[in-house]
Amino acid sequence: MPEIDRSFIGEEFDHTVFDPVRSEDVLEYMAATGETQPSAHAGDELVAPPTFVVRLRGRRFMPSNLPKDLRIGLDAGKDIAFGVPVRVGDVLTASSTVHDIFEKTGRTGTMKFLVLRTVVTNQRDQQVAVMDQKMMFR
Amino acid sequence: MTDAIHFPDIDVGHDVPPLRLTLSSDQVRRYAVIARMPGGRFMSDAEARREGLPGQIVPGNMSLALFSRLLNEAFPGTNLQRLSATFRGLVRPDVSLIISGVVTEKHRTDHGDLLECDLVLESAEGDRLVTGTASVQLPTAS
Repeated sequence: MPEIDRSFIGEEFDHTVFDPVRSEDVLEYMAATGETQPSAHAGDELVAPPTFVVRLRGRRFMPSNLPKDLRIGLDAGKDIAFGVPVRVGDVLTASSTVHDIFEKTGRTGTMKFLVLRTVVTNQRDQQVAVMDQKMMFR
Repeated sequence: MTDAIHFPDIDVGHDVPPLRLTLSSDQVRRYAVIARMPGGRFMSDAEARREGLPGQIVPGNMSLALFSRLLNEAFPGTNLQRLSATFRGLVRPDVSLIISGVVTEKHRTDHGDLLECDLVLESAEGDRLVTGTASVQLPTAS
């Protein structure tokens, strides 16, 4: 397995501004997950379930200049820190960077891990979510 | 809305009432579309097999959404602050699933009262397919 090139860390590979959040998308997301309880933030207003933010996929899923051995991997896990809730009409921006690259040796050998971080903010520049996606490569 | 819970109501070791469900192929496809997860593996058995998988699979993000739903139903009026998941096995449609959790810690902090939970999504046979942790912020007592 080639040496890890850590020069990618910190590189922003996607920056996407999305169309305003629509009520029909929030309702469809809730229906698809069976979510019926209103959020604590809700009141009379429609507020998206916290994990609604996972649908904010930018144009690029990962940097286009990654080496071949870091292109096709398995989704090993996800960690999301939630900020302010997503409301109908919000204009959300997602900025994605390579947050970390590391190796781990276990019973089945050495694997590489790539952590992609996406920071989502709203039109008031408030932080909505920080999502870390861990990809595993054998 | 169901009455909100507060810090004294929950002790460490509290079991989160489990969600028991079986996701249909259509439900998984519906989620993949609204979550903008275009991979064929989430759409049908045939497309998944072309990718070398045994059949259609449930997106990891849908497992996260089910953890979120579990906590929202168990702890109404609370705010999910953090959620993490480790994907250990393939989650498939048309398989009985049990999603459950347990409160492992509780804290009073400057930012409010918090519960820490361990979460698991497992098959009816007990295979732990997704494990996770969550931090849940409780409403401040008035």
